[in-house]
Amino acid sequence: MISLVRYLAADVLRGQRYLAPLLVFLGVMGMLFGGDAGEPLEAYSGSSALLYPVAAWMAVVVATSEDVVRREITVVTAGGWSRVLTAAALVSVLFAVAMALLAAVWPVVTNPHPYTAGQFFVGLGAHTGCALLGVGVGLMFARPVFDSTGRTVLAVFSVVVLTYPLGRVTPLGWVLDALGHNEVSLSLLWAGVAGAVLVAAAVLVGVRRA
Amino acid sequence: MRGYLGEVLLDQVSKRYGRGPWVLRDLTLEVSGLTVLTGANGTGKSTLLRIAAGILKPTSGRVVRPASVGYVPERFPSDVRMSASSYLAHLGRVRGAVAGDVLERLGFVGSMTAPMSELSKGNAQKVALAQAFLASDVLVLDEPWTGLDPAAADELVSLLEGRTALVSDHEGHLAPATRLDLSGGHVMIELSRVPALDALEALEGVRSVQTRGSSVRVEVAPDRSDHVLAEALRLGCSVRSVR
Repeated sequence: MISLVRYLAADVLRGQRYLAPLLVFLGVMGMLFGGDAGEPLEAYSGSSALLYPVAAWMAVVVATSEDVVRREITVVTAGGWSRVLTAAALVSVLFAVAMALLAAVWPVVTNPHPYTAGQFFVGLGAHTGCALLGVGVGLMFARPVFDSTGRTVLAVFSVVVLTYPLGRVTPLGWVLDALGHNEVSLSLLWAGVAGAVLVAAAVLVGVRRA
Repeated sequence: MRGYLGEVLLDQVSKRYGRGPWVLRDLTLEVSGLTVLTGANGTGKSTLLRIAAGILKPTSGRVVRPASVGYVPERFPSDVRMSASSYLAHLGRVRGAVAGDVLERLGFVGSMTAPMSELSKGNAQKVALAQAFLASDVLVLDEPWTGLDPAAADELVSLLEGRTALVSDHEGHLAPATRLDLSGGHVMIELSRVPALDALEALEGVRSVQTRGSSVRVEVAPDRSDHVLAEALRLGCSVRSVR
């Protein structure tokens, strides 16, 4: 599995499609934390909200980095769809966690308000939860669940856009609500659990559809 | 399900895409040496190969294959950014195998470190073949001679000697191999109390004869099915079913 993860990660990095979501992420992070971003946890809410669609976008990039034919060779080489889709999910989660870590560290360096270690780890957990939700949404509608790129983009965009107005109905809403009120809440943990379950479900749906 | 002795077994395999027409119907095939698939375009050769390799699930039927299968698609993609050396090293690590001398034997000419998108069609095909030959058990090759020069084509024939492989081939590169023609479908006759398998196998139109418990399944070309049925009855066989 480690060899497969290394191969898929190397393939993503060899391509340049990962640059678009990464640059959007870095650009918006720069704008969010260009000045005083507010209280420590409150400051994390903007970057958590940002990480959700960026992680979904990155997951689609990872899932579709290999074209259909090369993915088939990889499936035969690895011994089945379940191994390849699990590895693709792990690569997506690795990219997402790296961005979550960056997003958690960024305001600690730039925000004039001092951060405690506890606040940093709450922020890291919140970002990781949002990133996992994004990865789950991205994988749920990417190949092999939806074969066409157009349908994937439309479905992921629709779900991401519809998530925000639903507020506390969704796990993302739990995170943004807690951070927005500068509170530490168990809902942050549950959002992470929901994200992990969504990623696992996306892998299972992919294996069934393949 | 894992195969035994490096063989692939397709048992009563049928395939249709969604609610479309049947591409394959009740196909039974045992690949234990070199087996060549022939047939006109659209007769299901690539579908059968993808099922045998484990890429597609059959709509019905059972597939048994060994652990290590190598696959070459009909068209290897031309826009791969990874270099040939990285690609083969990564896939070798995934398989836990070390690259052999397949590329050298096929006469690969080009940069191993440049993106594969810069390789000629023939050299990219040689890389595709090299990754498939990392497999230790069975090879599933879809038109593997595409783009190869005559010397490389002959060398590929040598490389396949002694291997278990299911290969689609329009050009007759593997003359001594077992052949399966997918054109025109087939009739499956199930018999019991067969006194002589050899006599059945010798009948004109019989494509394969397989013993399954007390019964024998005979795959017959549709235009010879009446003749084979009559001969089977004359030999004293009982006919269980004709499909």
